[in-house]
Amino acid sequence: MSLKKFSELFGDLDSINSTNNKIEVLKRYFLSNEPIDNSWAIYLLTGKSNKRFISGRYLKNLFSQIYEYPEWLIDTCYLKVGDSAEVITLLLKNKTTSINKKLSNISLNELLSKTIPELSKLNEEDKNLQIKNIWERLPEDYHLIFNKILTGTFRVGVSIGLITKSLSKLINIDEEIISHRLMGNFKPSIDSYQFLINKNINLQELNSKPFPFLLANTIEDKIFKHSINDFQFEWKYDGIRMQLIKRSGNVSLWTRGQELVNESFPELVEKMSHIKDDFVLDGELLVWNFKEQIAFDFSLLQKRINRKSPTRSIQIKYPIIFIAYDLLEINGRDIREIKLENRRNKLEKYFSKWQNKTENNISDIFKICDLIFPKDWPDALTFKEKSRENNTEGLIIKNIRSPYTSGRKKGIWWKYKVDPMQLDAVLIYAKGGSGRRAGLYTDYSFALWKDQELVKFASAYSGLTNIEIKELDKWIRKNTIEKFGPVRSLKPEMVFEISFEKIQISKRHKSGIAVRFPRITKWRKDKKINDADSLQNAYELMKKIS
Amino acid sequence: MRTKQKDLIRYKDGSLYCELADIWIDPNKPVKSALITHAHFDHFTFGCEEYISTNETAIILKERVGNNIKIKTFDYGEEFKINGINISFHPSGHILGSSQIKFIFAEEKWLISGDFKLQKDYTCKQYEIVKTDYLISECTFGLPIFKWDETNKIVNDISKWITNSPEKTSILFCYSLGKAQRLLKEISQTNFKGNIYSHGSIYKMNNCYKELGIDIKDTIKIENKKKIDQLKGSLILLPPSLSKSSYLKNFKNIQTAFASGWMSIRAMRKRSGYDKGFAISDHADWDGILELVKKSEAKNVFFHHGDSEALSKYLVEKESINVLLLGK
Repeated sequence: MSLKKFSELFGDLDSINSTNNKIEVLKRYFLSNEPIDNSWAIYLLTGKSNKRFISGRYLKNLFSQIYEYPEWLIDTCYLKVGDSAEVITLLLKNKTTSINKKLSNISLNELLSKTIPELSKLNEEDKNLQIKNIWERLPEDYHLIFNKILTGTFRVGVSIGLITKSLSKLINIDEEIISHRLMGNFKPSIDSYQFLINKNINLQELNSKPFPFLLANTIEDKIFKHSINDFQFEWKYDGIRMQLIKRSGNVSLWTRGQELVNESFPELVEKMSHIKDDFVLDGELLVWNFKEQIAFDFSLLQKRINRKSPTRSIQIKYPIIFIAYDLLEINGRDIREIKLENRRNKLEKYFSKWQNKTENNISDIFKICDLIFPKDWPDALTFKEKSRENNTEGLIIKNIRSPYTSGRKKGIWWKYKVDPMQLDAVLIYAKGGSGRRAGLYTDYSFALWKDQELVKFASAYSGLTNIEIKELDKWIRKNTIEKFGPVRSLKPEMVFEISFEKIQISKRHKSGIAVRFPRITKWRKDKKINDADSLQNAYELMKKIS
Repeated sequence: MRTKQKDLIRYKDGSLYCELADIWIDPNKPVKSALITHAHFDHFTFGCEEYISTNETAIILKERVGNNIKIKTFDYGEEFKINGINISFHPSGHILGSSQIKFIFAEEKWLISGDFKLQKDYTCKQYEIVKTDYLISECTFGLPIFKWDETNKIVNDISKWITNSPEKTSILFCYSLGKAQRLLKEISQTNFKGNIYSHGSIYKMNNCYKELGIDIKDTIKIENKKKIDQLKGSLILLPPSLSKSSYLKNFKNIQTAFASGWMSIRAMRKRSGYDKGFAISDHADWDGILELVKKSEAKNVFFHHGDSEALSKYLVEKESINVLLLGK
């Protein structure tokens, strides 16, 4: 019965929009199924299984071969559907209706631990025959799941956070314990599920995994009332946040997205393994400009992220560095509860010890973050304004007496981001929103002047208040020039201040520039469209920054 | 080889036209004389001098256009003559009153399928097999990925969808003529026994169907401008045109769904913005189109209303059926 339930769960999760309803559906599922099936469900839903047993192409060819179906027809269907597993599922509806459904009671566990893995052991001919057998004996409702798992494309709109919440509500223990247990290599088994929902928290087992990350909040005015001496100031780097762990001689590198990325950065893992102590460090991975001692742009880091086992030349071309912010554990002792200033002292002490005593030189790949010492808050502001010069995004401000908790707990860490870049632009298109914004025009496109012409340069969805959205919606309906499907082109009349984080040359955009995180920061009712900025202004802004 | 008969019906200004009888079929602009296959808005236009249709279509048409139009009606199967051409209407199973139209001239038969489906529909006459030499068929869902489930299965899913969320108001979007009434009929046979509300446009069509002797469940008309509350657990039928409108703000705690053949594709369901999609259609699926083509025994087939490329290629390659493009 459980594959049926999983298939229903998939259908529900696929269609429900509300987070709370998703959690309810998940809870109900976990309560009504065997631990082993729950374990597999978690494995699938958290996207831990993207192993591809066969390719979409292979699946399509196989179907074509078995049912003597023209390949061009499958390809035409694919254009409409956009997913090989689904195309074949829909086409199978024509093919397997009358045959005995012997596999109607198959469990999720049986399918995933036996039926599918056994396919890989067969030679091609037997494998094809076996897939045909499964198609014909599996009830139609399960075909999609089967085909998606087979092609490694099983995905549904559920985050790890949502699974964590559901399990935490189900057994009534802290989310962070669950998220801790879910990190890393979750292998589906009865034991792993029992461990996940075990109400007794076993520290030893937990120790093999990274700690939940502490996140910074956006700065609030009230902080300025505090003494500047209550805080530690660091640059806010634009890299990949990571925990670098060495326990019992083994180094592991974890991202905040709970991925183990040792394979992408082998040179770091190798170097760190020479350090004698065991430790857990919280920090940031960057591609580093060693000559100028600043970070390279995030785009260079992207060249390394998705590349496993990078060649020596890649390692040289994009040299990485791990900058440690914090020491969370040292030689088996969890020190997250002690004050930040004491943790920092230890971090500095151990770092200098490692630098001097480690056989290989580690400073070409590992350092601790420099601290900044502003005299007062205005001085902090001055530092923040300078942050673009060293390719950082602003400051991180940490309470020196705070422990290292998890999540985005208020008042411990703050991010003080550099002011965004801004341009005044003209609203030229609007598109209907979805979900709770349905029925309102909430997606906007903005243009800058190029000679006498308005050229689109950014789209933005956020920044207006609900009242402003309603007012603008009314205006949009009255001032539409043309409709193309859900999009309206508008009379150029309204000017908005658009803020963004980065600006760079882009060949893909008509304007020739691309901006990062554009958002509306002000409705400039005081401005006429002739007061709006030009593309020339945008280029100058770009020059000023680089 | 283009004979005179081959041009008996052709495309003119985007509509089907029979020059010999000077008559249009489902024209998209006002003309002198128009044969109407059925009363969906995209199959007729206001302002024609004369309409010709089945009796049922005529009554729905009058409800939509007004009573003062000139309209001639014929029963299914009843032959009438225009300029030496014998013409007759035959059930197409799409909605109440919908028809295929047969033309006989110089001993050659032409058949326009109109919109049609083969599935059982309790609110209209079952599609009739009509033999022809030339067939002009719609192909809205002309790809093999479209294969309709049993109506029973879909409506049970709809019923479950409503009853599983008793604290919510379930809004089902569906075309106000045909689909709405078919769903009403089907849903009243399921386990869902709560109230059903209809939008004014649907309510009007329900009444039309009842006048024409179709037994469908009574619904409550949604009065405009009235704050609607206390609807949890009930079903509301609305036309799709309201799905993105502020009209929805009248309701609290809703779940939405769309009943349409397109909902069989996951990407379409996701993109459409409805919470749920039910793949139920009043058009034929791929197998349905193939069945009509084969059973009509047509030697020459034309397609319109849809993407016909794949379907044509398939019929030519696999079934050796002559598929042609309509003359213009």
